Order: sequence, then C-alpha cells, then structure tokens
Amino acid sequence: MTVSEVLIKGGRDPEINPEPSSSEVAGRSPMRIAMDRLRSDKVAMVCAGIVLVFVLIAIFAPLLCKLFGVEVRAGDPVTDTDSFNYPVIGPPNYGFTWEAPLGLEPNSGNDLLAEWFYGARTSLLVATVATIVSTIVGVVLGLIAGYSRGWGDRLVTFATDLFLTLPFLLVAIAVSPMLVERWKENPAMLDNASLIALIVILSVFGWMGLARLIRGEVVSLREREFIEAARVLGMPTHRILFRELLPNLVAPIVVSFSLSLPATIAAEATLAYLGVGVTGRPSWGQTILRAQNWFDEYPLFLYAPIVGIVVLVFALNLLGDAIRDAFDPKSFR
Amino acid sequence: MFGFVVRRLISALLVLFVISVAVVALFTYGPSDPADAMCPEPKCTAERQDAIREALNLEAPIYVQYGEYMSGIVNGREIAFGSESYDCDAPCFGVSFIYRVNVWDDIKDRIGPTVSVAVGAGVTILLIGVPIGMFAARRRGSSADKAVIGATLVIESIPYYLFVLLAFLYLAVGAGIFPQDGYQPLTDSPLKWAWALLLPWLALGLVNSSKYARFTRGSMIEAFNEDYVRTARSKGLPERTIVNKHALRAAVVPIVTIFGLDFGALLTGTIFTEKIFGINGLGLRALDAVGQSDLPVIEATTLISAVIIVITNLVVDLFYSVLDPRVRLS
Repeated sequence: MTVSEVLIKGGRDPEINPEPSSSEVAGRSPMRIAMDRLRSDKVAMVCAGIVLVFVLIAIFAPLLCKLFGVEVRAGDPVTDTDSFNYPVIGPPNYGFTWEAPLGLEPNSGNDLLAEWFYGARTSLLVATVATIVSTIVGVVLGLIAGYSRGWGDRLVTFATDLFLTLPFLLVAIAVSPMLVERWKENPAMLDNASLIALIVILSVFGWMGLARLIRGEVVSLREREFIEAARVLGMPTHRILFRELLPNLVAPIVVSFSLSLPATIAAEATLAYLGVGVTGRPSWGQTILRAQNWFDEYPLFLYAPIVGIVVLVFALNLLGDAIRDAFDPKSFR
Repeated sequence: MFGFVVRRLISALLVLFVISVAVVALFTYGPSDPADAMCPEPKCTAERQDAIREALNLEAPIYVQYGEYMSGIVNGREIAFGSESYDCDAPCFGVSFIYRVNVWDDIKDRIGPTVSVAVGAGVTILLIGVPIGMFAARRRGSSADKAVIGATLVIESIPYYLFVLLAFLYLAVGAGIFPQDGYQPLTDSPLKWAWALLLPWLALGLVNSSKYARFTRGSMIEAFNEDYVRTARSKGLPERTIVNKHALRAAVVPIVTIFGLDFGALLTGTIFTEKIFGINGLGLRALDAVGQSDLPVIEATTLISAVIIVITNLVVDLFYSVLDPRVRLS
C-alpha cells in the first residue's frame, strides 16, 4: 500500500472524504485516512461502543459489584442454598430480586452477576495479553524470516509449519496441568499459575498466521528502493527492520490483532470448558461448564455468560472487519 | 512434480520427527511424576516408587528413551513396573499407568469414531458452505446475498463448542429428536451409525461452514470477472455450465487448500463433540488421560493425531498440485 494509492482512492469516495479541498488531503498519513474511514463507518462505531462497555465493565468490576450490592465468590452453600442445593432467593424457584439480579449459583451460592462482571475481566485480560504477546512474536519472527535469506527463513518457516501441525487442543490440555503444577511451587505465582499457563499456551499457538503474513510482506518490501538505500547508507540491520520495515507493516499488524482478539476470547472459553483454564477466579467458560446441566431449569445461569461471549466476540469481529476494510485501499464500500 | 513430492515428504517426516521427540521429552522432563501417577503415596511406599522409576528407565538420557520408544512402536518391547512385567506387542505405545493395558489396544478402537466425526463434519462443511457461497455469489449485492453473509458472520461469532453444546442440549436432550447414545459401530449397522452421528455432523458442519460460504462467495465472484467466463458467456453456454464447470473449478482450488489445513483443527475440534455427545473417541480418551496424568495415553493420542494431521496436509498438498498446474511448475 502506498500513500498515493490511498489518496487516489480516498479522493474518489465522497462519503469517506467529505471535505473536497485537496490541499488538506495531501497531508494525511495512511493511518489518519484509515481512522477517518473508520469513524464514518456506523457499524464499526456501534461495535466499538459495545466493546468499550465490556472493557469498562472489566476495569470497574469491583465498583460495579458494590453498586449492585453483590460480592464475588461470597456464596455460602449452607445459608444460600436449600437442602436440594437450589438457591434460596431468585431463580429458578423464586422471582427476580435486587439482592441478586442474575440469581445465585446452585450448589455454591455464589452471586452470578458478580461472577459475570469478573468473568468479563478474566476473559478480556487473558485475550488481550495473549494476543499482544503472540502479535509481538509473530512480527519479530516474520521480520526475521522475511529479511534473512537462507537458514533463518527456513528455520522460521519450519517452526511455523510445525506449530500448525501440532494438535492445539490436545497439546493445550496435556501441557497446561504440567505448567500449573510446576509454577505452583513458586509462591509468587501460586494464585496466578493457571492464568499465566493459559496465557502462555494461547500465545504459543497464536503467532503462526501473522508470522506468515509479515514474512510475505517483508519479502516483497526488501527489494524496494528505500530499503536498498538504507542498506547502502550502512544502516544496521536492526534499524532497517524496526525503523524502515516495521512502519510499513502497521496495517497488516493492526488488522491481524483486531481479528485475533475475538478468536482468542473464544479459545479461552473453549479451553475453560475442557477444564484447561483459570481456576480460582470467575470465568465465563467455567460458568458455562457448570451451568450446562441446568439449561432446562435455570436458563439464565447458562445464558448470561453465553450472551457475554457471543456479543463481545461478534462486536469485535465486525470491528475487525471494518478495520480491515478501512486499511485496505482497494476495498469499495 | 517428482521433486515437489520428495520435498513435501521430507518436510513431513521432519515435522513428525520433531513432534515425536517433543512427545518423548514431555515424558522425561514433564513435571508430573509417572511413579506417583501409577501408584500414589499411601498405596505405595517411597522405595516402591523408586523401583518403578528405575524400571521405567526415566534416568536414562533422552536419546536412549527416544530410541526405546520408537523401537517399541516398530518391534514391540517389554515394559516392567517394579516387579510386574507387561508384554507390549508392536505397535507399542507403552502401557497405561492407570488401567495397566497396552495403550494401542486401548485406543485403536477409538480412532474410528474420531475419524467418523471429523470426516462426516468435513463433508457437511463442504456440502453446506460451498453451495451457500455459490448462491450468494450469483446474487451478489442483492438482499439475499447480504442476509446470507450477515448470518454467516453471526454464526461465526458463536464459539463452536457453544453451538455444539446448545444443539445437543436442545435437540438431543431437550426435544429428543436426535439420539444421545454415543457412537454406533459402522460395521454393525451403517444406518444406526449415521443416525447417531447426524447431529454431531450437522452441528460441527454448520458452525464451521460459515467461513467456507464467505470464501466460496469471494473466489466465485473473482472467477466471474475472469475473461474465460466472459468468453463462455458470449459463446452462449447455459448459465449452469458456466457456474458449475468454469467458475467453480477455479474457485474450488483455494477452498481445497484451506480445507486441508482446517482438517487438523477439525480433528482436534472433535474433542468437544466427543465430550458433549459422549462419543468414545481419541479426544475423550485423551481428556480422561490428562485428568489422571496417564502419560503413555497422552503421548500416544498426541502422536497419532499429529500423524493424521501430517498425512492429511500431505494428501491435500499433492491433490492441490494435481488441481493447479502452477504449483507443480514453480
């Protein structure tokens, strides 16, 4: 993507480029143009709003819990559930109550609204950190593979193929308990061992697509004049990689990040269902796992986390699609 | 062509080699203690656990253990746990810590169900996804096109295990339309086999087909804009021939590639389907084994899945080179 391509495209589209003065347009960077296109996309803005709400819920989970007068993980099976393990207030046996707007969890008596708020926090935290780490790994390996001809390239390409061949879920369920076991011995990590193990696994299996993409881009960019000029000037390789090549790769990196974030959220919930995942703190996937046998009697228990995951992933997917379109000079909207 | 096949074969073998080394290394360096998994502390004394560790030869360097494991697969070997000794015939993947049976005997009957689910779901994906994509491509820009593509986006946002779970809960458990009695062997009764697997196929197929619908639509539209399609139109060929013979043939090549790469994911994706529907496949066995720290079973299921994925990728690549002459020539 060159600046001129974007400018020609941007100038043709009246919706994207409302002010016709061409002198102003000439000064805009590709990033600015993409942001302006995104801003005029109503679907993208609505989705961004939805995502923002989830982010705020995740950040202010403790505050929200206080606001609703609920507490996380405070259930007492003796006082909060009856002899059949049903909650003593709220659904499924009683009506709506403000004491527990989403009801209490059968068996444990934990408040489901508080679980939901903190579940959003876990989900976004794990997905964001794992996506950032896998993006960094993918970019660095892609740069190395694309820029070094010969062994570096072959090695990274082989590693990419290898990781694509590994049965991800099987490896995840086999390795995760081992990591947790090992890290539990470290007292500093005791509480977070399962969280860190999950992030590590999601990161280790998340970088291959981006590495391939970046490698392809770099292979074509490295033949261009500005890279040649930089090399002739005697610029050190790391400077060429990070100062010259990297800025040209912003578009694919942003697009890949925004599309792999929802995929990671879904993967986190999926692993939680298989028993690999965070323990000791609320998570939507874990709630779904516990709620599945109650689908008939107590649908709210099952549907609160499902709605959370589906709405968040859907909004992020649409936003990611919009970001891809905004960065793509060839897309006609 | 020959060079291409050889190169692909070598890289596939290399991948398998690295994976098998990783699997054996997992056994050696993995933090969970095999002796403790086999025989927990109150049941066995510390001396007996030490004896087991020695019998398993865990102190030997990794290349020795790797050699033993691989030669076991080819020739079979004898495995001793303390005083007990087991004859493990080829192909020997070790002896289960928990059930004390030959792992291969334990899992060989479980490959069938897993492959049945994955292949059936794969066929369903193509049968649903490709026609929907063709339908949308022929009516591109219309409201029918937009509705179909919008629906695929919504379906894609539902994590697929949720989709399968909800299908199971409502259609099998709730409404009772579909059976929920797990896997029926194909050799007993093909009809029962297909009926028991119909809902898993439909659920797994539908949720994965959305990507293929969008992909087919994209590459069909691209093909419609090609010169040879315009030529076919101007020759006055019937629309059906143009779509099915000319455009689809070009559009299907990238779909086959993606499908081949996805098949591995599909194979591991059957883990949920097996867990949710109670199908006694490889995935369910692996899940149980993880819960019990039964390392030989974990190793064997991981290795066998990797072999199946590598073989599918190889077949797809070769098939691809037959379909698309440009791959052979480059």
